[in-house]
Amino acid sequence: MGLLALGTPLDWPEAKKNADHVRQWGVKQLLAIWNRAKGKEKDALLWGDEVEYLVVDYTDDDPRVTLSLRQADILHALAHDDKLCDEGGCVSDLQVVGKSSTLPIFHPEFGRFMLEATPGNPWGIGFKDLLDVELNMKLRRKIAKEHMNPEEYPITLTTYPRLGSPGTFTSPYYPPSGEKLRSQFVPDEIANPHIRFPTLAANIRSRRGRKVQVNVPVFKDKNTPWPWRDPTVNYDLHKWAEDDDVRNGAAPDNFIHMDAMAFGMGSCCLQITFQAKNITEGRQMYDQLSPLGPILLALTAATPIYKGFLADTDVRWNQISAAVDDRTPEELGETPLRHNRWRIPKSRYAPNSTYISEDPRLRKEYLDPHLITDPDVKQQLMDGGMDALLATHFAHLFIRDPIVIFAEDLKELDLTKTDHFENLQSTNWQHIRFKPPPAGNDIGWRVEFRPMEIQVTDFENAAFSVFIVLITRAILSFDLNFYIPIPKTDENMQTAHKRDAVLNDKFYFRKNPFPTRYPRPYSSNGIGSGTSTPVLSRPPTPTGPVEDEYMSMTIDEVINGGKPGSGNDFPGLIPLVESYLDSMNVDVETRCELARYLKLIRKRADGSLWTAAKWIREFVAGHEEYKHDSVVTEEINHDLIGSVLGIENPATGRGKGKEARNMEKFLGDFAPCVIGA
Amino acid sequence: MTRLILSTSNIMTGGPSIIRKPGADRSNLELTNSLRSNFLAAQQDYSPPLSATNGSPGSSYDGDQPSHRPQASVWTTRQGSDFYIPTIDWSLSGLAEERSQYDITVKLFYLPGADVKERERYTKDAVGLVLKELGVESVDLLIVSFPGMSFDGDCEWEADKRNSAQGNDEEEIESWPALEELHTQGIVKKLGLAEFGSEKLARFLARVKVRPKVDQVNVKDCCNVPPPLLKLAKLERIELLTHNDCTDILPSGTLRELLGQGVRGAGVLSESKRGLDGMKGDLTPEWVVKYTAVVRDRGVIENKGYFAAAELEE
Repeated sequence: MGLLALGTPLDWPEAKKNADHVRQWGVKQLLAIWNRAKGKEKDALLWGDEVEYLVVDYTDDDPRVTLSLRQADILHALAHDDKLCDEGGCVSDLQVVGKSSTLPIFHPEFGRFMLEATPGNPWGIGFKDLLDVELNMKLRRKIAKEHMNPEEYPITLTTYPRLGSPGTFTSPYYPPSGEKLRSQFVPDEIANPHIRFPTLAANIRSRRGRKVQVNVPVFKDKNTPWPWRDPTVNYDLHKWAEDDDVRNGAAPDNFIHMDAMAFGMGSCCLQITFQAKNITEGRQMYDQLSPLGPILLALTAATPIYKGFLADTDVRWNQISAAVDDRTPEELGETPLRHNRWRIPKSRYAPNSTYISEDPRLRKEYLDPHLITDPDVKQQLMDGGMDALLATHFAHLFIRDPIVIFAEDLKELDLTKTDHFENLQSTNWQHIRFKPPPAGNDIGWRVEFRPMEIQVTDFENAAFSVFIVLITRAILSFDLNFYIPIPKTDENMQTAHKRDAVLNDKFYFRKNPFPTRYPRPYSSNGIGSGTSTPVLSRPPTPTGPVEDEYMSMTIDEVINGGKPGSGNDFPGLIPLVESYLDSMNVDVETRCELARYLKLIRKRADGSLWTAAKWIREFVAGHEEYKHDSVVTEEINHDLIGSVLGIENPATGRGKGKEARNMEKFLGDFAPCVIGA
Repeated sequence: MTRLILSTSNIMTGGPSIIRKPGADRSNLELTNSLRSNFLAAQQDYSPPLSATNGSPGSSYDGDQPSHRPQASVWTTRQGSDFYIPTIDWSLSGLAEERSQYDITVKLFYLPGADVKERERYTKDAVGLVLKELGVESVDLLIVSFPGMSFDGDCEWEADKRNSAQGNDEEEIESWPALEELHTQGIVKKLGLAEFGSEKLARFLARVKVRPKVDQVNVKDCCNVPPPLLKLAKLERIELLTHNDCTDILPSGTLRELLGQGVRGAGVLSESKRGLDGMKGDLTPEWVVKYTAVVRDRGVIENKGYFAAAELEE
């Protein structure tokens, strides 16, 4: 999340009045981008990863672990480090970062306990570049740590296990129930104080007409009381009108109840952005990566604990979705439509609802039958020259209201900027994002892959990043086809939430990913007909039943391929990547390093190594303090964080001398060497 | 005497034939599968459409019914003593973008049993076909694979030791000037070897004019490149690349089966020397060439395929 200019943010009633204004200007800016960049060609593959961190305050001896709210101080320290400045600087929001700087870049994030770090320059496809990713990730962690207090550490867990638990979970402590979030559980100070963020949270709540409701099913262990009532919910608060929410049923039985944006947007993810050769390739990549989203979500599962309780789900996705869900009761279908324009089936944070490639293999049966679009926006885009498919995509994004509007930006429309377009684009958090070229530089059309959960180690994060890059190369080289109907991807996304979905559940996936062969032009005299230039005829558009094109598969089958004789001939994503690598000139050392990455993913998929979610669950279950009642106490949390720290920082955080358990099953041979162990 | 020229056309969009099966290391399946599917495709494409004949819909060319195979003359071409299987429509050749965008790698396999003295001709023929197919005037890297070589063993250490005694140093060195010539002409920018262990490589380097810049080895499981090879490669600035090919990539039995009358054969060649249909005679595979064109700064493989040549003594 890049930081934006300061200004005077409108509160919701005012923002609402100006929503159409922003949309109109957004459409104009989008058309300006379209006309400027639709012919942009021959851009190289450049790509970047984004790693997000939680900053914890931890000591071996104190059972209390807290989230450090010193994001601003840490960024300040990074920006004022003379040595880093000499190398070009590394905080783009606070200083001018030199173009030649190779340092990683640090960014603020929504949570005041978070940091984001990206490589200083984008990666290419040179295979040696791929090996630098992990080193660079380690460097980011090291530099971040060096600019923290001795007891502060950056860790890569998706969520902080006791965020919003009673007692103290931040340093410094702030009481909950502030004006902006009105949360029972977390203070307003949990969010980045930059005015954009509290405004975003407040306006989502205000538009929605009540607080967000983030309810996660609780994991039922043998001593968990049933029905289970979240014991941390206070039904007797009377400070804000929104305190009525829980009295009106916001916190159902058997669910962990959370009530603020921070519970979702305080999650850490691993996101990868690719630059496409041109808009056509970008659109193809957007479509083809979409069905892979739920698979990679389940495979990277790392989120089994919320607010001090074990959840019955393994991933973060739905919680973020609920945490930024600004839909009104009318839009949600709870009350008849009177003031709003339409019912909207999905949150702003949701799996994709569109396919956009001009690929003859894209059948209309794949499209979302429940897609909502703004017909006026679509018409304007088409009048401006955009094709119907892409106009539909943006007309879908533009059904949302802009949430944060700065008064200063409404004075004059600047068609060389993209701020109004980005206002809507960047608050549509779908699992794949199609990104038009930004203003004022030479960046091309890009696609962002957003579903993956952050992993505990840099090795794993590098492995998944590189894997996705190689998958995109295999998709383009073999012209692969992963199309399935969009509603099936939606279903898969829900399936990915189940506990151990990676091992126990099945996902809809296309059986045959290969293109149909292009036939040679026929001429009755045999060989090509001399003077006339032959025109390649497209392969016939397939017309069999769509239902025959896909089947239910395990993650193992999708990643490693169907087993012989199982009736599933899907080749597997890893064999596809290996076949790609077999055709490339790869030096021996690089190939061996890539093989380690692929091996990790193969083993996660076939169950011989555990996901982080499973490892954390087993850690809790095996802790002497755990009473099998789904409660993750401060002590358990302390030792869990200690173990996590111990993996990447072997010198510290060994959890009062306790060894990290089950490292073999979690990371296998890949575990970093523990010094002195 | 007839020279058979087999081709796969671009196999990147050819589907499953080129996807490695888990566990199946180092095979020639990519070559044989893609030849077979190209034969089938050509039989379909070059046959008159059903609408143009009175053929019934039942006469599909799915390969399981050899009796319905179209005659070889429909989908193959004879040009002098050359016999193209299948017919190559050169009007379809070429790359999408300009030459500078590509990295083109060619790997030439000299096959066992072929005449060593003819290697100069083999080399020119093979490279010539690739240049024509890709519509280019030069390639970036030409790797040669000599017969009888491997980099096999339980571990790469062992492989490096065994390697020293493999192949035939004299023949390999005698074959090299043909490649040097292509290099001098600018048709090949870099030369490379395959499966040379440290000792063989050292001996080879001492005796050639234009030095190889690449040594391609098969790295199996242990990913443990023997230090002598690493050291030599570093010292001599030779890049060690990986591959997944087998050296004897087209044994004559395999070729005979591919072209023969069996259920999975192309029906061009008789099963026995006295065969009834098709041609007959002694079949000697001479060389196989693999070519790969990669869009350099995007890592996308646009074109990959094989040509193979064999001599048929009728």
